[in-house]
Amino acid sequence: MSDTKDATLTPEVRRLHKGMAEVWANPRGLGALTVVNHTSVGLRFMVTGAIFFLIGGLLAMLIRTQLAFPDNDFMSHETYNQVFTMHGTVMMFLFAIPILEGLAIYMIPKMIGARDLVCPRLSAFGYFCYLFGGIILVSSLLFEMAPASGWFMYTPLSSGDYAPGRGSDFWLLGITFVEISALSAGVELVVSILRTRTEGMPLHKMPLFAWYILAMALMIVVGFPPLILGSILLELERATGMPFFDVAGGGDPVLWAHLFWLFGHPEVYIIFLPGAGIVSTLIPVFARRPIVGYGWVVAAIVIMGFVSFGLWVHHMFTLGIPQLALAFFSAASMLVAIPTGIQIFVWLSTLWLGRPVMSLPMLWIIGFLVIFVLGGLTGVMLALVPFNWQVHDTHFVVAHMHYVLVGGMLFPLIAGLYYWLPLVSGRMPSARLGKWSFWLIFLGFNLTFLIMHWTGLLGMRRRVFTYDTAMGWDIYNLISSVGGFMMSAGVALLILDVALHFRFGKKASQNPWNADGLEWAMSKPPTPYNFVSLPRLDTRHPLWDDPELPRTITEGRHGLSTIDHGRRETWGSDALTGKLREVVHLPTNSWWPFFAALALAMVCVCLLIRIYPLAAVATLVAVVLLLRWSWENGAHPRAAPDSTVSPGQPPLHSRTMNGPGVWTMSVTHLANGSLFLSLLFGWFYLWTVAPEWQMPETSPLSPSMLVGAGVSLTLGSAWLARLVRRLRRDNDAGLGGGMYLAAGLGALQTVLLAAVIWQAELAPTETAHDATLLVALLYVLIHALLGGLLCLLQGLRVGYGFVGVHAPLEPVVVLRFWYYHLVVYWVLFVAIWAMPTILGGGT
Amino acid sequence: MSILDHSGPAARAQFWVWWAMLIVTVVVSLSVYALWLYTFRRREQPQRTPREERRIMLRWVLGGGIALPVVSIVALLVFAAPTGRSMLPLPLPEGEAERIEVIGHQWWWEIRYPGEEGERDVITANRLVMPAGEPVDFRITSEDVIHAFWIPRLGGKRDMIPGRHSTIRLEADVPGVFGAQCAEYCGAQHTHMLLHVEALERDAYDAWLAERRAPPVPQEGFDQAREAFGEHCAACHTVAGFPEELVVDELEHDIRGPDLSDIGSRPTLGAGVLPMEEGAIAYWLQHHQTLKPGNRMPPHHHIDTETLQDIGAWLEMLEP
Amino acid sequence: MKQLLRLTHPIHLVSGVTIWGIWFVAIYAGLSVACSVAPPDPERDMLTGINIGVGLATLFTTLLLSGLTWASVAAGRRAEPRRERFFAYASAGIFLFSAGGTLFVGYPIIFLPPCL
Repeated sequence: MSDTKDATLTPEVRRLHKGMAEVWANPRGLGALTVVNHTSVGLRFMVTGAIFFLIGGLLAMLIRTQLAFPDNDFMSHETYNQVFTMHGTVMMFLFAIPILEGLAIYMIPKMIGARDLVCPRLSAFGYFCYLFGGIILVSSLLFEMAPASGWFMYTPLSSGDYAPGRGSDFWLLGITFVEISALSAGVELVVSILRTRTEGMPLHKMPLFAWYILAMALMIVVGFPPLILGSILLELERATGMPFFDVAGGGDPVLWAHLFWLFGHPEVYIIFLPGAGIVSTLIPVFARRPIVGYGWVVAAIVIMGFVSFGLWVHHMFTLGIPQLALAFFSAASMLVAIPTGIQIFVWLSTLWLGRPVMSLPMLWIIGFLVIFVLGGLTGVMLALVPFNWQVHDTHFVVAHMHYVLVGGMLFPLIAGLYYWLPLVSGRMPSARLGKWSFWLIFLGFNLTFLIMHWTGLLGMRRRVFTYDTAMGWDIYNLISSVGGFMMSAGVALLILDVALHFRFGKKASQNPWNADGLEWAMSKPPTPYNFVSLPRLDTRHPLWDDPELPRTITEGRHGLSTIDHGRRETWGSDALTGKLREVVHLPTNSWWPFFAALALAMVCVCLLIRIYPLAAVATLVAVVLLLRWSWENGAHPRAAPDSTVSPGQPPLHSRTMNGPGVWTMSVTHLANGSLFLSLLFGWFYLWTVAPEWQMPETSPLSPSMLVGAGVSLTLGSAWLARLVRRLRRDNDAGLGGGMYLAAGLGALQTVLLAAVIWQAELAPTETAHDATLLVALLYVLIHALLGGLLCLLQGLRVGYGFVGVHAPLEPVVVLRFWYYHLVVYWVLFVAIWAMPTILGGGT
Repeated sequence: MSILDHSGPAARAQFWVWWAMLIVTVVVSLSVYALWLYTFRRREQPQRTPREERRIMLRWVLGGGIALPVVSIVALLVFAAPTGRSMLPLPLPEGEAERIEVIGHQWWWEIRYPGEEGERDVITANRLVMPAGEPVDFRITSEDVIHAFWIPRLGGKRDMIPGRHSTIRLEADVPGVFGAQCAEYCGAQHTHMLLHVEALERDAYDAWLAERRAPPVPQEGFDQAREAFGEHCAACHTVAGFPEELVVDELEHDIRGPDLSDIGSRPTLGAGVLPMEEGAIAYWLQHHQTLKPGNRMPPHHHIDTETLQDIGAWLEMLEP
Repeated sequence: MKQLLRLTHPIHLVSGVTIWGIWFVAIYAGLSVACSVAPPDPERDMLTGINIGVGLATLFTTLLLSGLTWASVAAGRRAEPRRERFFAYASAGIFLFSAGGTLFVGYPIIFLPPCL
């Protein structure tokens, strides 16, 4: 049902709908590549994720076939090693994270009453990075060059000496590419949730799902950079021989394990939190009452988000770290039982105090509970160091992690799928097929993995391609395999059910589950602009408090219901109170994201086939494309040439000095800072722990040039800060020239840093010390260069009239960048020059 | 290989911790399931004021969500975590524990019994002999990638990391034979990296060791085999007393193969791939790349079968 | 900026766990550095300077977090808008968790030697 044809609406309202539809239109054909709208991008993420799930599932079935019988020669050991590595990799990186991000991208604006995410082009860019990265990674299977070092790629097994093929390169480059996508989605979800909620929705009244996604997005922002850094270092080691993880050169393979699990453990919670968010959304609906203990859940989310970063070593209990240190991590791991317990019992008391009804989505929630509780309890067992020493790296752990991930993520996801399907398609799923698929998947899953705990206790290691019948594991493995195939049949049935429902499903009513969420106030299937008018809300349950909301929204009786200016708009509101602050005008469809992602894909492919000059060219092209993309912002004719707003409305965000762009830059630097801290961690870790670490008596870096670069950076930041202060006082005289001066200081810093590197005569392929120094110096050099470039562009934009007193946002954003670099630079100066000079080098 | 078939103090402690945790897990999970499902069974609900609702919620959350996990994890930390102490290489009241070095290679085990001053190390491979009834400190490391040393029936595992040494203390209650395996995925033939462990009475252990410490007896016969060995094998493999006192450490090759001085007395070939029988070595020398594809020993197509059989027959004789 | 210091601001939802996190990183890093620079004699078992140092840091952090819990509850009692009370109480819960968590995680120093 399209709103423009709704006969009950007045002609005026119908004109409004038509205008919205035109401004927010998604082009078809080749132009579909330019679509930036969150509904389309979210769906693309989810469909792509589902396809990767099927690929990962197929790999799982190959594994179960191989292990069904002892001494099976269904697959060679080479194929098997590739298959299990890719199964883990695909499921974790190409299915779980992206599909949840897709769900968040799709749902969040609809739940908080926004028309789109805050950086729509970034969503599209993220999608293409994901798609290209995924294709690159999976293509390795077709070339029979897939990575075979296990999904956590422990060095030195994954490094050049022991994995000479291209498999590890496929992994490192493909995954890093996919992680760019995760990061970009993480950044914009944080800012969207905090800054674009509809009028009046205060932080403590936003839907719980938004809290979960906020936590997930922040965790992605902080948790992914360690692995990105690790991947860069390992790829550098493989490509050029810098010995970061090689003992002989002063590196340490355990550094990789730290960097990997610094990411890897939070990732489990990044996957679980959105799942729990779905549970917290569905339970009140089917218990027919508001959730009790909203505040308890918020506290539990915060605790989980943080504590999960203190657990990474529990994947490394057997690595020979002192037992006392292990005990800290063991205790911290057990602590997670508390926030988990709080959530389980909040859900229970909501059901207890409500009048719960059983339904298909609820069935999946029960399945989630049964499986996840068991996974959580075996998790507490594994947190106990002495027990962990026994079952680590056995099938017990394989069973545990499938209980947690399938229980904590897949079951809620399918519950959410059935719950929100009517919103996407306007039709109801079939109850009978759905139940069949539930029971097949549920029983199949438990048959596979419950028994697998036992197989593990009987001593079966993970990642073995065969086993001897004398071990007595035959029957258990056979049962697991049968269960696995049962589960596959269930998944097939699920796909069939979803496919059939698009054609045969009953038409859904406006609010088929009698839910409280704002997303059910929209037309079905949703229009790209979600709501024709944005309601003022001060409740956690908009549709229960005001069942008329769908009608009044459609009739355009709420805010921001003009379209004659031709802009895509949504509200920008105060992070805390939800008071209106600005009108956010959003960019429209664009080719830049697609081409920028394509250029980056070229970089990946060139690195993969080791044609480095071409990779450099492609990098340059990517940078130019990204900067060109940034050109179309603010007062640019393709963004928002005129700044008129309706009377009584707040100003356009690009005409303020604290628009969401400032927040986006800050959150991006949270990610960047996490990357920097990981690098710093690597430096100090190797310095103190690496067995063969070598450090020259005196630092090879020139202190005068280092300080010179730091001074030009400090002066540049102070100068920019002055320009911004003047802008704040409505004075943009000399802004353009001032920007060129700052650009000059950026250039000076770049040159000085390049000279430092040149003069130090580092031997990065000889020692890990020199290699780490080089990477650290390149890190600040890139920032200096980028800082200068951004100022240069700002100077140009002042000339074009895109920046000035009338549009002062961008200099504020650029200043944030300089401030970040200022802090990082001096910290690095202390770490790589001052401390070695004071403490002295030697071995 | 079963963890539950414990045969040493560490494994025994872990065994009891497991059963205790299992019982708690079953009770807790079944109660939670029952409570959840019960909420769907009740029909009529009494009218409750918000205050009453709040009280009921607090009772569940404080009792189930906080008290239950807190009590469980405190119990676990206080009673179960200290069991890990027994595997620490703390000083013993009765003096030094027996020390055995285990070195991981792709995909075999090197075992070393360090000699007293002036004595040479006893080196063997893929068979670990240890004294029973007393704690033994295993000092472990790896020569290439990360492996993990694990004797399930005696206790937990420990990763073997290139460039690092760590010590794990294990004890076998009584003499016996145990399986051990590499637990950390270490590449193509991770599956076939098994270790045969034998615990002997102290006297038998001492005798076993003394036999191997004794200077090698000058060998006679098998001249052709020894010559062929020198030509084809000695770049990677060593045999005590051949050609003179050559020790594995002095090999110039970067990949070294197992020391073969007592190969005749080992129960398996290829780290658990073939049982040692008459003719097994010759068979292994011809077919090792099919039996254990990808292993580091190059194929021997260029050597005629007769020579391989010769070498095999000679090696089978090698027992201290 | 001043607003951020008030315990009714949502930033304090994360300040308790942040303090916990800083303490956690400090004891883990401190332990690792101490063990690589000056490992104590294994004979001394858990009676070492490292254990005592970690213990003192643990007690201090626990006290700090307990104090913040109490202050947060007090701030919640005084707060007028529902929103402020919501955040103060939620933060109080997280402070309390962090205080307990600190003590719990620090506890193993009484039965384990530091560097083995």
